[in-house]
Amino acid sequence: MARRLFEFLEQDTRTAAAARVLISTGAVLVVWQIVSMIVTNRLLLVPPAEVAVALAHEVADGAMWTNASATVTAVVTSFVVSVVIGVAIGLALASSRILSLTGGPVLSALNSVPIIALAPLFIAWLGLGFASKFVLVILVAVFPVVVTTEAGLRATDKPLIEAARSFNATPWQIFTTVTFPYALPFIVSGVRVAWARALVGIVVAEFFGSFAGFGYAILSASQTFDTARVLGYVIMLGAMGLLGSVLFAALEQRLAPWRQE
Amino acid sequence: MTEAVRLAVDGIGKTFERRGKPPVEALRDIRMTIREGEFVSIVGASGSGKSTLLRIIDGLIAPSAGVVRVDGRPVSKPGRDRAMVFQQDSLLPWKTVAENVAYGLTLAKVPKAEAFATAQKFIDIAGLKGFEQHYPHQLSGGMRQRVNVARALAVDPEILLLDEPFAALDAQTREIMQTELLSIWQATGKTVLLITHQIDEAVFLSDRVIVFSARPGTIRREIPVPLPRPRDLELKRSAEFVSLVDTIWKLIEAEVRAGLKEE
Ligand SMILES: Nc1ncnc2c1ncn2[C@@H]1O[C@H](COP(=O)(O)OP(=O)(O)OP(=O)(O)O)[C@@H](O)[C@H]1O
Ligand SMILES: [Mg+2]
Repeated sequence: MARRLFEFLEQDTRTAAAARVLISTGAVLVVWQIVSMIVTNRLLLVPPAEVAVALAHEVADGAMWTNASATVTAVVTSFVVSVVIGVAIGLALASSRILSLTGGPVLSALNSVPIIALAPLFIAWLGLGFASKFVLVILVAVFPVVVTTEAGLRATDKPLIEAARSFNATPWQIFTTVTFPYALPFIVSGVRVAWARALVGIVVAEFFGSFAGFGYAILSASQTFDTARVLGYVIMLGAMGLLGSVLFAALEQRLAPWRQE
Repeated sequence: MTEAVRLAVDGIGKTFERRGKPPVEALRDIRMTIREGEFVSIVGASGSGKSTLLRIIDGLIAPSAGVVRVDGRPVSKPGRDRAMVFQQDSLLPWKTVAENVAYGLTLAKVPKAEAFATAQKFIDIAGLKGFEQHYPHQLSGGMRQRVNVARALAVDPEILLLDEPFAALDAQTREIMQTELLSIWQATGKTVLLITHQIDEAVFLSDRVIVFSARPGTIRREIPVPLPRPRDLELKRSAEFVSLVDTIWKLIEAEVRAGLKEE
């Protein structure tokens, strides 16, 4: 019985993947419930049911909708723009040796700076509106895309390029039929990391300066010691992260099925 | 054997310059001519410049000396009169068998329908019918190599350049592929230049076997193979065949041994 369940879960199908997510979510809920029965201080931890009630309350009074639309709009726009910029910079670095040699070190230095710590500065410069969030999210999310794009474009199998050249392919044809398709799954794996980083970026930006959004809601709920609401919004963020991760992983697998087998 | 000269290799030399290291002379003064429809093989120790010569003939790299002519015209870059099957796996993993076979045609901007019709013809010839929509990673090594050959044939080259096309296959599959290659060659009348490590493969397939000496690669001997055609695997057991293989093996044995010591 246990063995058959295990075999089912190991399968590479959508049902099995969904079942895996369900089981791990269920396990977290059970552990959470047990821990909250031991830790009875409700300022520190509240049981899942109370969090669900708090979430339902947020939905009912419309706060959820306001916060979700603020966060989702800001994060999706900035994320999409960071992917575009990241791919463009990656392309430039991969196509020019000099650019890569001069720009590469600067980029990796920037990448290792905890840009997120500069959030208060950006808000001072760009105000409390959309602009500061936009810039902060782009700055944290762009690097993984740049790095994987450049690496993917440089990783192309030499024999594939040689075969294309042997068929008289032009440099543009080599790019569109060999180099870029080869790099695509690499790029998607960078995009996946970028999505996770974008979520962190948006929450921090909302902590420091905004009047709506999940980050704002978490901060204001924690100031009133409303732990159920804090956890409720954290769960919403977690769900967004999970959704992106599952989607991009599926896309990666779809683009490069030969890597799995 | 009165056909015109299709491929002429005239005094080809190649020295690779390397940064911070002494240059490598891979080929020196290679001269050979191959007539239309002829099947010629090159054998030689590893590192004797065989792949380099094939790349030069295909136009992928420029020689340091000499000139290659196809039908009298000097070669300076790849062209549709030549097609190459590479030593390494070089199918596009994200394209199906049909798309891979049509690849050379689509690069040449042949209309899609026509490209796929032509591809289908060579898929059938290569015995890949029913696998058109498979991806390379879903095929066996032997089938992948057939796709490679079909892809090269699909552009209708005059000269087929094969760089150890069967090296990665097991002995049985290789023998089957050899007979299939022979029948494709007979059906299409292409001029073929094949590189191989297998002396028996060279003798079995070729009209002539060219033996290379080790670095720098030079032509050690040219050995005609006067065995009757059509040939079948039975031939490999005949005394004539065995003695030809033996002669060639003696020619390269010393160099192979020297090469092993170097490594
Ligand atoms: N691009 C290159 N740069 C420098 N040296 C090279 C290059 N290509 C080949 N060589 C050298 O030239 C020599 C001949 O190489 P080549 O690949 O033509 O040999 P080969 O006869 O095909 O060997 P094998 O039977 O192992 O395939 C080798 O010493 C190799 O190291
Ligand atoms: Mg070689």
